[in-house]
Amino acid sequence: MNMHTQPQRTPAETALIDAFGDRLSLLPGDGAVMLKRDDAIEAIKHGLPTRRIESWHYTDLRRLLNVVPDFDPAAAAKAIAPIVDGSTVLTLLNGVSSAKAPVVEGVSVQRLFEKLTDGSIAPGLDPYGSDDAIGALNTAFVADGYFVDIADGVELEKPIELQNLQAGGQTHVRLPVRVGAGAKAVIVERQAGEGAALTSSVCQLVLGEGAEVTWLIVQEQPETATHLAQFKAHIGKNAKLTLFVMNAGGRLVRQEIMVKTTGEGADFKLRGINLLAGDTHTDVTMVLDHAVPHTASTEVIRNVVTGKARGVFQGRINVHQYAQKTNAKMACNTLLLSDDGEFSTKPELEIFADDVVCGHGATVTEIDHDHLFYLMARGVDEKSARGLLVKAFVAEVIEELDDEAIVEALEARLDDWFVTHG
Amino acid sequence: MPAVQDTIDRVRKIDVDQYKYGFQTEIAVDKAPKGLSEDIIRFISAKKDEPSWMLDWRLEAYRRWLALEEPTWARVNYPKIDFQDIYYYAAPKSTPGPTSLSDVDPEILKVYEKLGIPLKEQEILAGVQKTDASELEEVSDNVYKSGRVAVDAVFDSVSVVTTFKKELAQAGVIFCSISEAIREHPELVQKYLGSVVPTSDNFYATLNSAVFTDGSFVFVPKGVRCPMELSTYFRMNEKNTGQFERTLIIAEEGAYVSYLEGCTAPQRDENQLHAAVVELVALDDAEIKYSTVQNWYPGDADGKGGIYNFVTKRGDCRGDRSKISWTQVETGSAITWKYPSCILRGDDSSGEFYSIAVSNGYQQVDSGTKMIHLGKNTSSRIISKGIAAGFSQNTYRGQVSAHRKATNARNFTNCDSLLIGDQCGAHTVPYMEAKNSTAQFEHEATTSKISEDQKFYVMQRGIPEEEAIALIVNGFVKDVIQQLPMEFAVEAQKLIGISLEGSVG
Repeated sequence: MNMHTQPQRTPAETALIDAFGDRLSLLPGDGAVMLKRDDAIEAIKHGLPTRRIESWHYTDLRRLLNVVPDFDPAAAAKAIAPIVDGSTVLTLLNGVSSAKAPVVEGVSVQRLFEKLTDGSIAPGLDPYGSDDAIGALNTAFVADGYFVDIADGVELEKPIELQNLQAGGQTHVRLPVRVGAGAKAVIVERQAGEGAALTSSVCQLVLGEGAEVTWLIVQEQPETATHLAQFKAHIGKNAKLTLFVMNAGGRLVRQEIMVKTTGEGADFKLRGINLLAGDTHTDVTMVLDHAVPHTASTEVIRNVVTGKARGVFQGRINVHQYAQKTNAKMACNTLLLSDDGEFSTKPELEIFADDVVCGHGATVTEIDHDHLFYLMARGVDEKSARGLLVKAFVAEVIEELDDEAIVEALEARLDDWFVTHG
Repeated sequence: MPAVQDTIDRVRKIDVDQYKYGFQTEIAVDKAPKGLSEDIIRFISAKKDEPSWMLDWRLEAYRRWLALEEPTWARVNYPKIDFQDIYYYAAPKSTPGPTSLSDVDPEILKVYEKLGIPLKEQEILAGVQKTDASELEEVSDNVYKSGRVAVDAVFDSVSVVTTFKKELAQAGVIFCSISEAIREHPELVQKYLGSVVPTSDNFYATLNSAVFTDGSFVFVPKGVRCPMELSTYFRMNEKNTGQFERTLIIAEEGAYVSYLEGCTAPQRDENQLHAAVVELVALDDAEIKYSTVQNWYPGDADGKGGIYNFVTKRGDCRGDRSKISWTQVETGSAITWKYPSCILRGDDSSGEFYSIAVSNGYQQVDSGTKMIHLGKNTSSRIISKGIAAGFSQNTYRGQVSAHRKATNARNFTNCDSLLIGDQCGAHTVPYMEAKNSTAQFEHEATTSKISEDQKFYVMQRGIPEEEAIALIVNGFVKDVIQQLPMEFAVEAQKLIGISLEGSVG
C-alpha cells in the first residue's frame, strides 16, 4: 500500500492513447477544441482512476476497464420505438447524429459536430477535476451529439427522446441542452444497443428562470457493454428539475450526476432505480451542490441486486456557506436478493451553512418476512409473492412521477426486466 | 434550524481559549536525540530493556514505514510533518522504574494532582464506605466502581506509576505498563501484540510499532470480572516530543473489563504529534468497554499549536458472543484522525460505538468507526454526535461492511451533527458495504426515527416533541457517560446538556 510506483499502462489505457493518435485527423474541432482534447488525453495518460481515488472508491475503473473495443466504423445501429408514442425522436446511431432532425416549434436542434468544428462549445469541454475520467475520455474523443435549445416560454406537449444507440465499437457523444426561462419539457434519454460497445455520453443541461424539466434516463445496454455517462445540470432561479434514472443493463456502468442549484428557489428531485443482474457492475454517483440560499432537493434511490451483480451508490450533498435555508433529503434503499451480489453505498453530507435541514438515510436488507407471510397467507405462492414485493419496492418510485404516459412507459420497461430476470 | 442559545453557551465553555490543562511543568528529562533512525529505535529498545524479538519487531516495522506514504483521504489539512524534527523518547529523569508512589518525582505527582487524577491509593480507598472484601460483594457494582479506579499514569514516553496492582493481581488481572509486560509477560505480549493492528496496517500504526515508548497492558483471565475500573492517563509535557503509546487489552473467555483513558497536554505554539495504537482482544463471551475522554491541547483561538492526534484503535471480537464497546468524548486536539473499530469475527458477537465530538476554534475532526461483520448473527450499533463551532471542521466517517459469510449481520447507525455559526463545517461520510443478502443495515441521520414509543411516552406527559427528543437522546448519552468515573468525566458532563435542536445529518 501507498508505495511509490509508476504503474504500467493497462491494455485499455494503451489502446485509448493509441486510438487518439490514429483518430486525431478524423475528430472535428477548431484550435480551441483540439487544445481541450490534448489536455484530456494527457489526463488519461496519467492512468484511469483506481480505488485509491476517493470518488472511484467502489469502481476501480483501471481494473474493471482493462480492455476497450476498437473503433468500428462498420457498426450500424438501428433506431428503436420511443417509450412514449408521438415523441420527437433524435437519434445518435453509433455516435452519429441525423442530418434530418425533426422540426418542433420553439426548439432549435443543431448537430454537435458543427459546434465542435466552429469551436463554439469549446468552453464547456473542460473536465470538472483531476478525477473526472469520464469527462476527460469524452472530451478527447467526442465526435458528435446534439445541441438542443428550447426557447423561453415554450411548453412542449410531447417528450423529446434522445436515442444513443450502439452496435459495437466505441462511441463518444455529448448532449448540451438549454431550456429557456419559463419553458416546460419532458426529455427522455435512451441508452441502449447491442454488442460489446464502449460508450461515453455527457449531457449538459441548463435551466433558465422558472423552467420545468422532467428528464428520464433509461439505460438498457446489453450485459456486454461498458457505459460511462455524465449528467450535469444547472438549475436557475425558481426552476424545477425532476431527474429519473433507470439502470437496467450494461456490464460496467458508471452514471455520474452533477447538479448545482444556481438560483434561489431552485428545486431538484432525483428518483432512481437500479435493476442489477448477471455478473455486472453498476455505479451511480451523484454530487449535488446547493450553492445559493433557499433551494431544495430530495433524492430517492432504490436498488434491486440479483445474481453476481455489484451495485454502488455514492451521493454527496454539498451545502455551501451562504446556502442558508437549504432543505435536502436523500435516501438509498437496497434489496439484496442474492448471496453472490453486493451493494455498497456512501451517502455523504458536506455542510457549511448552519441554518439548514439535511438528512440522509440508507438501508440494505432482504425482503421483509412479514410482508411475504402476509401475501402467502392469502394463497400467493412464494415466487409470485417475492416478485410482487420487489416490483412494488421499485414501482413506488416510478409512481411518484405525475405524468401518466411516462409512468406507464416506465412500468412497461420494468415489466420487461422482470420477465427477463424475474 | 439554528442552534439554541443554551447549546451555544455550553459549547462556548469548552472553546479552545478556555483550555484548563495547558500548564507546563519543568521536570528534568532524559531524551533521545531528535529524529528517527534505526539507532533511535535501538536506543528506545535498550532504554526499555527489551528482549531482542521486540527490537526486531520494531525494526521490521520501521523498514516498512520508510516505504509508506502519509494518507491523504481524511478531511483534514495540515502542513507536512517533519518526522526528523521530533523527539521520540523523553522520560522524567528520576524514574528508573519506580516501585512505589514515594519514588515518583513529587513534581510529577503535582501534575496529576492538578489534573485531578487520583494516584494515591489510600485517598481513593477512603472514598469507599465498605472495604471488607466479604461485604464488598454485597455492595452494588456502581458504588464499587465509582469509588475506585486503578490508574496507569503515562508521562511523555514512560509510565510513571500504576496503582492497585497488588489487589488486581489477587483477582488474576494483570495491569501494568506495556514495557513491564514485555519484560514480565513476554508470552502474552508476543501472542497478542500486532494481532489486531498488524505492523503494516497504516502509516501511523506502522510508525507507532517502530517507536512506541509506553502504554498500558491489561490481561483479564478466563471467567474474571475485573474488580475495578482500569484507566490510563496520558500527559504530554516535554516540548517537541511525540507521544507514541501502545495499549493492549486482552479479555479471556467470559472475562469483563472496563477501561478508560484520558489525555491532556500543555499549551504550546508548536504542533505535537500523538500517534497511538490500541488493540483489544475479546475471546468467547468476553466483554471489553473502552472509554476515552480526549482533551489534548486543541491549539489557541487562531489555530496555532495543538496536538495532531492520529490514532489507530481496533477491537477484535475473536470469540463467539463477545462484545466490545467504544465510547469517546472528543473535545481536544488540533487534528483528530481516529476510527475505533470492531472486527466482529466470532459468531453472535457485537460491537458498539458511541461518540460525542465537539470541535471549536480551528480544530479539525475526522473520526468515526468501522464495523466489520465477519461472523454469523453479529450486530453493531453506531451513535455519533458531532458539534462544530467557530472555524472548525467536524467529519463523521464510518464504515459498515458485511462479508459473504456474515449471515444475519445487523447494523444500526445514527449520526447527527450540529453547526454553530456559519464559518464551520459538518460532514458525514458513511460507507456501507453488504455482501450477504441476510444483512440488515440501517443508516439514518434524522431525529424523527428515535423510538416512536419512547417519544410518545414522554410527550404524553405534556413535554413538547423537541424537548422529548432531547431528553431521550441525552438520557442515552448520559447512560454512557455515567460509566466514566467522575474524575474523567468533567468535560463529558458538560456535554450532556447539549441538545439536538437544529441538528442536521
